[in-house]
Amino acid sequence: MSFKSVLSSLFTFKPDENINKHNFNLIEDYNIKAYPDDDTAIKEPPKKIYPSLSVNLEFMKTRYNALINSDIIFREFVLNARGKQYNALLVYIDGMINSQIMDDFILEPLMMRNRNNLYGGSQNKVISEAVANNITVRKVKKFDLASYILSCLMPQNSVKRQTDFESIISGINSGNCALFVDTLDSAFDIEVKGFQQRGIEKPSNEIVIKGAHSSFTENIRTNTSLLRRFVNNENLVIENIEVGKITKTKCGLCYIKGITNEDLIAEVKYRINNLGVDSLLSAGQLEQLLSEDISIDVPQTISTERPDKASSYLLDGRVAILINGAPYAIIMPAVLGDFLSSPDDKNLKKTFSNFAKGIRLLAAFVTLLLPGLYMAITSFHQEILPTELLFSILASRENVPFPVLVELLTLEISFELIREAGLRVPSPIGPTIGIVGAIVMGQAAVSAGIVSPILIIIVAITGTASFAIPDYSFGFHLRVSRFIFIFLGYLCGFLGIALGLFVYMCMISNSKSFGVPYTINISPLEKVNGGKFFLPPIWKREYRSSFLNPKKEKKQEDISMEWKKN
Amino acid sequence: MKQLALFFGVFVAHTLVALPRNLVESTKSGTIINIIYVAIIAILISYLIYKLIKNFSGSDIIDISEYLGGKVFKTIIGIIFISYFSISSGILLRNFCECLKIVYYPMTSLVFIILAFIVTLYIVLKFNFSSISKVNLIIIPLVLISIVFLFVANLENFSISNMFPIFGDGLFDTFVTGLGNISAFGGIALLYFLPPYLQEPQKTKKVFLLSMLFGAIYLLLCVSIILFMLIFLMYTNEILPLYSAARYIEFGTFFQRLESIFLLIWILQVCCYLAIITKISISILKKVTNCKYEKPIILLFTLLIFAISFLPKNYAISKFIESSVNKYLSIGITIFLGLIILILANFKKRVKNKIERIS
Repeated sequence: MSFKSVLSSLFTFKPDENINKHNFNLIEDYNIKAYPDDDTAIKEPPKKIYPSLSVNLEFMKTRYNALINSDIIFREFVLNARGKQYNALLVYIDGMINSQIMDDFILEPLMMRNRNNLYGGSQNKVISEAVANNITVRKVKKFDLASYILSCLMPQNSVKRQTDFESIISGINSGNCALFVDTLDSAFDIEVKGFQQRGIEKPSNEIVIKGAHSSFTENIRTNTSLLRRFVNNENLVIENIEVGKITKTKCGLCYIKGITNEDLIAEVKYRINNLGVDSLLSAGQLEQLLSEDISIDVPQTISTERPDKASSYLLDGRVAILINGAPYAIIMPAVLGDFLSSPDDKNLKKTFSNFAKGIRLLAAFVTLLLPGLYMAITSFHQEILPTELLFSILASRENVPFPVLVELLTLEISFELIREAGLRVPSPIGPTIGIVGAIVMGQAAVSAGIVSPILIIIVAITGTASFAIPDYSFGFHLRVSRFIFIFLGYLCGFLGIALGLFVYMCMISNSKSFGVPYTINISPLEKVNGGKFFLPPIWKREYRSSFLNPKKEKKQEDISMEWKKN
Repeated sequence: MKQLALFFGVFVAHTLVALPRNLVESTKSGTIINIIYVAIIAILISYLIYKLIKNFSGSDIIDISEYLGGKVFKTIIGIIFISYFSISSGILLRNFCECLKIVYYPMTSLVFIILAFIVTLYIVLKFNFSSISKVNLIIIPLVLISIVFLFVANLENFSISNMFPIFGDGLFDTFVTGLGNISAFGGIALLYFLPPYLQEPQKTKKVFLLSMLFGAIYLLLCVSIILFMLIFLMYTNEILPLYSAARYIEFGTFFQRLESIFLLIWILQVCCYLAIITKISISILKKVTNCKYEKPIILLFTLLIFAISFLPKNYAISKFIESSVNKYLSIGITIFLGLIILILANFKKRVKNKIERIS
């Protein structure tokens, strides 16, 4: 926002644009219409496949820029069906298909003469025959080449007959092959995917002690199967949605029918179907595209690489989105407490998990406020420190030539530099950078009198606390926001911190994630059934998060440990 | 719970500045009895308000005044309440900032301290009322904990004999002159504006009575701290009384001066108070003028509070306005004017119903 626009907003009046802005509330307003009444966008009708093979070939060559594209293969051959021969064409992308499957189950059955292909070309098939009064009545099925190929010639489990080019091209792009046959105004989308991909590995960012050790991969089908394995119920619905005008990235919208609120599903579909982007290459991009409040950079969806965590949220009544090519699931809606929760919390006894949650809450406060508070205390509120500690701080700062603000900013920025460098450098020397940065540079800075030792402790505690935040995006948000509190603490001490904190809290409270207020499960006096930040004992977790307004409120019986009843 | 916290938020802010000391100064050692006495009256008044307002479900005092005397009367009542809220919040802001200046920022001009609050208020008012009440819901428990902690941690400094003689300067001063202390429950004004914000109207009675009850207990706690520590606090007459009490908290040799942490929480509460009161004032103005947009009014109100906070020439005048002028404004507007409007509106409704029944 420029200075001019700030000034004009102060002294001129513009009608509030937000009045007619899309505003979705999950709890307060059930009658919201998630889908617009009419689709105003003018879309071209899908181009139909031509009966002439040569025309289809030319069309495909043009679409795929065959003259300059090296990995698009157009394999022309002669197809044998009932003794007759037809010109046929296979189109696929080299490197994305399994050649073995292609040879054994597509080319061989189609090209070779086999038992099925022995009898006459266009003869009709007699289905039933009956003789009455010397008159023979035969029920015959007219020969249909397309269904004959589909049912007799292709021993392949996943084959779809398509009539438009868009569906066929989408299949080819995702690793299938397309079969065009002369005289047919349809083509076959045959699944022969066979590209190299990563297997299911241990999660690298969300490590747990007592939970499952599997993580999502880049393949959407592997990910959906992982979810199915955990949820193990037919009510798990995975709808396919394509995002991106160019990439047409396949996304899987997952929810559990009968549990998840219909309005929530409709809202997610509405948003995802109304994305005017050319490409979608990662979960992070979709996360940003679906967030409703861009004025504050707190994450509004949960991003996880763990199928067990995603399944747990689905069973709670949330919606997950899987993106082809991204080893993460995006879960929505998200509330503040979710970013301070670990998947292991539910696996531990409530005392342990709540203790860990308390520590993480403290870590969030430390990350956000500790440097600012240090600045405020050393500049304005020295009386809060015990005299001995105050003397020790003063003594340590005796040789430092800079004011506290410069000293603190130097160290904080250096810390961020080390962290960023640790991510970029090759993995064998990555950890070394951290150690070298932390010990050698810190020690050297103290010896050189650039910073005081107490400040090293403050920055180290802040840095360590930021690593205790389970969610990377939320941790990042806190790290960035702490610089504002440093300046506020420097300007007016606790007054600045309190005023900044008040604005920050109002901003956070004003945020919503898919119609759910962001702070709903953090406020100690807020009435929430289930989904509170601190967990009750496992037998008392009877309700799903009420702020999700699920269709089925209870997730376990009043007395879940029935074996205790006699 | 949110509505209860809203009332509490308004109520608590006044106790953080000078209210407890004013109460103790007016009724001396009889303050405890006096507070119990005025609390009972305040509870009865709030019950009366509930009884009168329930006939106009979902309407606040502005809607009721329109019903009673038409648009002109509505406008007059709206302006009176807006003025009361603006004066009350402006003076509270001035006094609180004066204390902050004395304690922490002796070299800083008062304008900058007040301006810091005003800028914060301007930013915060752009968010909706619900987000402010949610933040209030988070801060209120912290404030309550801080007051309870203040009470417990100062137990060793208490001199229980300060509450004797229990009737202070006599029965007349405690029960007749002391009736003016009902202004401590000036938060009653908020009850007139709560109905439209109540999500469950059937709980109105509960909200009204509980607000008063908790308010009374809280006030008793604050007054007890000041009364029992009277000797210490006599010497720090210029600054916030509860802050002065916080200065005497000691835990071993390590934690000796924790008052600035209390101040951090109380600044948050004062911000909440300012935001709630201004938001309500804005909603009154919107109702009175049928204004569609809220944002242009925000700047107007923040500037109004800023200007009002600078009306008193010095801290002494500002203190006088808070302890005397605001006290009578509070009694006059929130108790008398509000109740009269409600009684007359109910009377009008009854007469109207009778005429309708006859015709």
